[in-house]
Amino acid sequence: MLGGKTVKVKIDRDLFDRLRKVADVAGYATTEEFVTHVLEKEMLHFEDAGSDDDIRDKLKGLGYIS
Amino acid sequence: MFEFFKRAFRRPQGEPIVIVSGLPRSGTSMLMKMLDAGGMQIMTDSERVADIDNPKGYFEYERVKDLEKESDKSYIREGRGKVLKVISFLIKDLPDDNDYRVIFMRRNLDEVLASQNKMIERLGTEDATAAEEAMKEAYRNDIVRTRLLCKNRPNFELIEVNYKRTIEDPAATARSVNAFVGGHLDEAAMRAAVDSSLYRNRSDG
Repeated sequence: MLGGKTVKVKIDRDLFDRLRKVADVAGYATTEEFVTHVLEKEMLHFEDAGSDDDIRDKLKGLGYIS
Repeated sequence: MFEFFKRAFRRPQGEPIVIVSGLPRSGTSMLMKMLDAGGMQIMTDSERVADIDNPKGYFEYERVKDLEKESDKSYIREGRGKVLKVISFLIKDLPDDNDYRVIFMRRNLDEVLASQNKMIERLGTEDATAAEEAMKEAYRNDIVRTRLLCKNRPNFELIEVNYKRTIEDPAATARSVNAFVGGHLDEAAMRAAVDSSLYRNRSDG
């Protein structure tokens, strides 16, 4: 997952400690792997509009899409 | 920096199509009315007629509702030099063979949802959608997606217009929108088109 080029991102120490604990309990190999997984999942909300059925249903009800 | 050069040196694809966008009930029809009054040609088939939810009309083009499904989108080209209303969810489906100037309406999400719920009640359509908080989150994502898309696609330019501020100061919106679309519109007529009595779903915040 971290095979490509990487960059450093600064985050709050307390948050990092919480992430490390969760990563450990959840079975991730490293905290970096956990953070990457969470960020990739979160990015999908913004990059993949096609999957948003909540909005699609609402817009149909309002008559804005068919 | 690369993005800047990509935009600056790209070949224009005819006159830009002005897109009025946003979430449903965010003030898109009000802005269409302003542009119409200001002298812009509207791409509409007038099929959806004025009703209690939009007493001054919707200014919609019915076929746009199928933008997500239709593969032939060449008709969008007819909108060059005109203004077309496209809700934010469908912006991603606009074809890339046109240049777009997107005027993105922003309104308090509580107000948007309250207005949508009233409209659904009146239309009598089934509202099988998510709970209020989940819907707000979905709309927040939709807003970010639209902003991202306009930033990433070189044929898109975006300006954001706040609904409440437009009601409070229509002259400021008329000025910024006119500058964005080329500066040839009648700003006095644009601000006169704003009817503050239609601001019915207000949030306390």
